[in-house]
Amino acid sequence: MVLKNLNDLRRLIEGGPKKKLVLAAAQDQHSLGAVIKAWEENIIDPILIGDKDGIQNICSLNNYDITSLKIIHEPDLEKSVEMAVKMVSSKQADILMKGKIGSSALLRCVLNKEWGLRTGNLLSHIALFEVDTYHKVIAVTDVAMNIAPNLKEKIAIVNNSVACLNRLGYNIPKVAVLGAVEMVNENMGATLDAALLSKMNQRDQIRNCIIDGPLAFDNAVSIESSRQKGIRSEVAGDTDLLLMPDIEVGNVLYKSLVFFAKAKVASIILGALAPIVLTSRSDSEQAKFDSILLAAASSNS
Amino acid sequence: MEQKVLALKKKYRIAVAWAQDHNTVGAIHMAVVKGLVEAVMIGKSAEIIKICRAEKIDEKLFTIIEAESENQASIKAVKLAKEGNADIVMKGLAGTDKFLKAVMDKENGLMLPNAVLSYVGALEIPAYHKLLFLTDPAVIPFPDLDQKIAMAEYAIDMARRFGIDKPKIALLGASEKMSRHFENSVDYAIMCKMADRGQIKSCVMDGPLDLFLACDKKSIEIKGVETPVNGDADILLFPSLESSNPFYKGLMLFAKSELAGLIRGTEKPVIVISRSESEKSKYFCITLACFMV
Repeated sequence: MVLKNLNDLRRLIEGGPKKKLVLAAAQDQHSLGAVIKAWEENIIDPILIGDKDGIQNICSLNNYDITSLKIIHEPDLEKSVEMAVKMVSSKQADILMKGKIGSSALLRCVLNKEWGLRTGNLLSHIALFEVDTYHKVIAVTDVAMNIAPNLKEKIAIVNNSVACLNRLGYNIPKVAVLGAVEMVNENMGATLDAALLSKMNQRDQIRNCIIDGPLAFDNAVSIESSRQKGIRSEVAGDTDLLLMPDIEVGNVLYKSLVFFAKAKVASIILGALAPIVLTSRSDSEQAKFDSILLAAASSNS
Repeated sequence: MEQKVLALKKKYRIAVAWAQDHNTVGAIHMAVVKGLVEAVMIGKSAEIIKICRAEKIDEKLFTIIEAESENQASIKAVKLAKEGNADIVMKGLAGTDKFLKAVMDKENGLMLPNAVLSYVGALEIPAYHKLLFLTDPAVIPFPDLDQKIAMAEYAIDMARRFGIDKPKIALLGASEKMSRHFENSVDYAIMCKMADRGQIKSCVMDGPLDLFLACDKKSIEIKGVETPVNGDADILLFPSLESSNPFYKGLMLFAKSELAGLIRGTEKPVIVISRSESEKSKYFCITLACFMV
């Protein structure tokens, strides 16, 4: 099954046990709004950790009725994150979300060796885009976390993303390794890594997906374009997941999809014990809500 | 292979550098008698005539040109080909380095512009169901990616001359898995993708593959590896000279196999064969060269 749009994620959580989301440093208008909305729509059960007065102020200003919600008072930012992370590592919560705290402070706690959410895997970011001009949702990695992944890191990023897509119901997602061209070019390292990833996939060293690359962006997402170029590929034109060569390409693609193509986006951090919602201030309310939805749908706990 | 060449019914001119060698004279004589070639023997004419008489060969079957040294003989042989008076050049008793120096001379040599000098062999192995081409058993010790690509293209070209439209080429390693311990597997993955994308043409390529997966269908079934080469390789590309050379010599010594081979990257076929090789091997090289003119 593939997702036609982000709303399809709702089908994946219907009937299942409701996932518990813990919002660290919850006194944050942007994330709290999305959490309350997801709670009202029965997507998650929230636990709010943070400054109780701050949280209640925001709620009364916005007319959120949180009388039945669990709120844990912890005014110290670092401590509230630590508490949130510990709730996830001790299985009292299924999803971690960032509130009013910097990403690096949150990730430091996630990576804590004693009580963090380490699995031994690399952490990576996945974003799912719904865009009118493509026939299904397209996932993109890594546009926010790994700056210039080497081959080993690219393998880890693909494995994280494929596992996530598998949990979302994609049996064999089609993975395109993006380059500037579809040809192998010794002067473009991304095309060489793409060839290696393809071969490792053929040899079952990267499983549960079909990988092809290098593919230029147009070949990856347009069947006409790949036909014109005479590319024989199961992936070209029907990509489920685009692997970026580096964060600079990824970030520009992400933002151009959002700003120019008016794409809807949902994104989470993978590779930890549980999905992490780490949206930024500049993300729309909708994007934050959809990210929570994605975290709930992809949570395997 | 001999049958195919005889069927060409064409006669080529072959120039032999430093020809006063029993096995070489014998092989050339066989090719002349069968109507494959006309031969120009370059070297110490007195010695060439002496060998002919000892072998009871009519020296008038050959054109004999006098040369004083192996250098001079090599240069003369190459010059004949360069000027269009010979189709094939063959090394006789001349040292390989001296002979190749003449072949590779920038002004008067036979190299194609910017070509990689390499070697492709064709093996007749009784235990294999068809001719097996291999590269490079003689010239490039540790080929880099560009050299491997050139080697593949030369071997594909040779196999296609033998009527194999899309030869199956196996890029050989110790295992079919990608591993950072085997640097060649990286080159192989890159080459396979280049073949996918049409950057290396007219072949079915896979690698890394071990020899069993390359040439034995049973191993494919047992291991369950999916590969388009499918145990039916036409061409084996080796990662190094140290792996390819013992491979073919082992087959010749222990498995009654015969090798014919040619230098590639030249305007015209060039035969370089070890002085110790038999008359028969030299004859096979001549037939192969005729086929590749």
